[in-house]
Amino acid sequence: MGSAETHNQSREAVLARIRAALKAQAVRPEPATHSPVFPPVGKDLLATFHAACAANLMELVVTRSWDETAGALRAALTSVPTGEVFVEDAPELRQSVDSLETPVRWSSKGIPQENAVATITGCEALVAATGTIVVASERGGRGGSVVAPCHIVVARESQLVPDLEAAFAHLRAESIAERNSFVGFITGCSRTADIEKIIVIGAHGPRRVVVILQMDS
Amino acid sequence: MRSSAAAEFLRKAAEKAADVAHRQTIRRNISSYDLSVGRGKLRFSDWEEARRRCAEIKWEAINHLDKYLLEFEQKVQARGGHVFWASNAEEARQYIEDLVTSRGVKLVVKAKSMVTEEIHLASALERRGVEVLETDLGEFIVQLRKEPPYHIVTPAMHLSRADISRLFREKLEGVTSDEPEELVAAARRALRKAFFAADVGITGANFLVADAGMIALTTNEGNARLCTALPRIHVAVAGIEKVIPRLADLALLWPTLATAGTGQHLTTYNTLIGGPRQPGEQDGPEEFHVILLDNGRTELLADPEQRDVLHCIRCGACLNACPVYRTVGGHTYATTYPGPIGSVLTPHLRGLEGWQHLSYASSLCGNCTSVCPVRIDLHHHLLHNRRNAVEKTRHGWLENVSFRAWRWTMMSSARFGFAGRVGRFAVRFVNKLGLSGTIIDPMRTWTRHRSLPEVPRESFRQLWRKRHGQR
Repeated sequence: MGSAETHNQSREAVLARIRAALKAQAVRPEPATHSPVFPPVGKDLLATFHAACAANLMELVVTRSWDETAGALRAALTSVPTGEVFVEDAPELRQSVDSLETPVRWSSKGIPQENAVATITGCEALVAATGTIVVASERGGRGGSVVAPCHIVVARESQLVPDLEAAFAHLRAESIAERNSFVGFITGCSRTADIEKIIVIGAHGPRRVVVILQMDS
Repeated sequence: MRSSAAAEFLRKAAEKAADVAHRQTIRRNISSYDLSVGRGKLRFSDWEEARRRCAEIKWEAINHLDKYLLEFEQKVQARGGHVFWASNAEEARQYIEDLVTSRGVKLVVKAKSMVTEEIHLASALERRGVEVLETDLGEFIVQLRKEPPYHIVTPAMHLSRADISRLFREKLEGVTSDEPEELVAAARRALRKAFFAADVGITGANFLVADAGMIALTTNEGNARLCTALPRIHVAVAGIEKVIPRLADLALLWPTLATAGTGQHLTTYNTLIGGPRQPGEQDGPEEFHVILLDNGRTELLADPEQRDVLHCIRCGACLNACPVYRTVGGHTYATTYPGPIGSVLTPHLRGLEGWQHLSYASSLCGNCTSVCPVRIDLHHHLLHNRRNAVEKTRHGWLENVSFRAWRWTMMSSARFGFAGRVGRFAVRFVNKLGLSGTIIDPMRTWTRHRSLPEVPRESFRQLWRKRHGQR
């Protein structure tokens, strides 16, 4: 489409109209005081995150070692029907997943299939106040967190941040938005309320989201 | 002069206002929304300050629109994405039609997007022989019914689960009840294969983030995520007013949009996309196209009085708050954007002459203004549109003569007094004969739904003189 782009005559026309329009000054809105708009986040991020997960209908399992994490993964998968599990190809996940009996497709070997029964990925951060999981392309791709009916996230305690503001500061500090063409903030399960405003869990994405959070020893 | 759109509006408004089943469905939906938003606001310690901050962010973006759009464009292009600027709907459609034709596209999956409704994209692609599937549940339902969306956030708000069940039984497989779970599952099954088979995913954009060069998409179902993960081409269409300066602004805009839109604190999926699949990434489209659409927006920008209408983040709160919207329903407006924001915006997008009547589809109660998360002064803008319509459009001679006569009467105390005597006599006469509201009553538009009050024989001035003597 290179040709269309070089012949995008309207680009200059639209920009010229914008610049001409902005010559007239608009009145500034009533200034904000910039005092906090959200209640302060409690010191205990784990407890805050736990409560937010419960409100968002996400499961949270706290573990203390890689062995416990592997056990939690196995437990989470027992209620998943048999079938292929898609896993982000990361060293920590290799360690925990190798002991599973289910057929696994590693992210290095292709994208999650239409019939994948679950996906397992890491994350960039967990937001305590909102119960949000931040993922990006490098965590199992764009499909890794949305294609299967069950998404299991393996995270470390150090990945907990208090609120969205801190999450964006983390994205900036780690250049995550620069490094990835996709960054996703996931808060709860796929849902819809398009029929009479009745909430139904499990529209096109996962109906079950499990966070396995390993404490830093 | 009354346009044909205005006559049609009045006809449909009268019909919908009397439709009890419709009112029940809307009341059920909006009561549930109100409850949820009330709870959602409790998650803020200062909702009013959040609104002021959002208004500041959007003011900053809109009043430096060229700067932020160029920054956005440059960053998207740096990742290998294409940015196309469209002056109008036709240019935007043409670009996408050329794209699907040159790539041999058969199937398009679409996420919910009001701007693609505005440019009538789906029907244009269908004329090219491309199958277009709406994947948001509400949009999927109205697409099956061959209807436009009823509401900008809840497209199928006007339908009960029984209506939807009837529709699905007719068009889809495996539907036996009107349980929402079963209906959602049926839609999921129907669309699942399409996500994997489609060549192109089309989305809108809730925000265009300048400093990151990314579009932000907000969705609960996950359909927009599948649309942007699986097909080999992603096309995003956005109005130029969607730009915001900084990624960090989303820390406030996302919760505010979600709260005003549905009452959730955060929508399930808030997704940022900045380009096609990058080297080293496992998946994602090979091509990423963003269409920046003007289509009348720069005209609105040129009016500093109404420029803040471009701050709108399309949350739908003003629709739900509007007593007129709740009574006449979304389809009566016959516009892409219904409700207060649509009544303000449509005359700018489609012309004041044909659409000024929407400025009167308001009780001026101001509820829309009070709920707007970016503090757009909606009801005053309706008044601005009324004034502009008087200044800029043609009027019938009767209207001109009437207002001149009115002005002449009001300019003198004697003439005003005389007009009062005539008026009181006329109202008593009409009431006595029982003519009020009948075909020969010149005030029929007003009196057929309302009774005239009993009119006293004497005016206020006469009574005053009687009680206090001449002063």
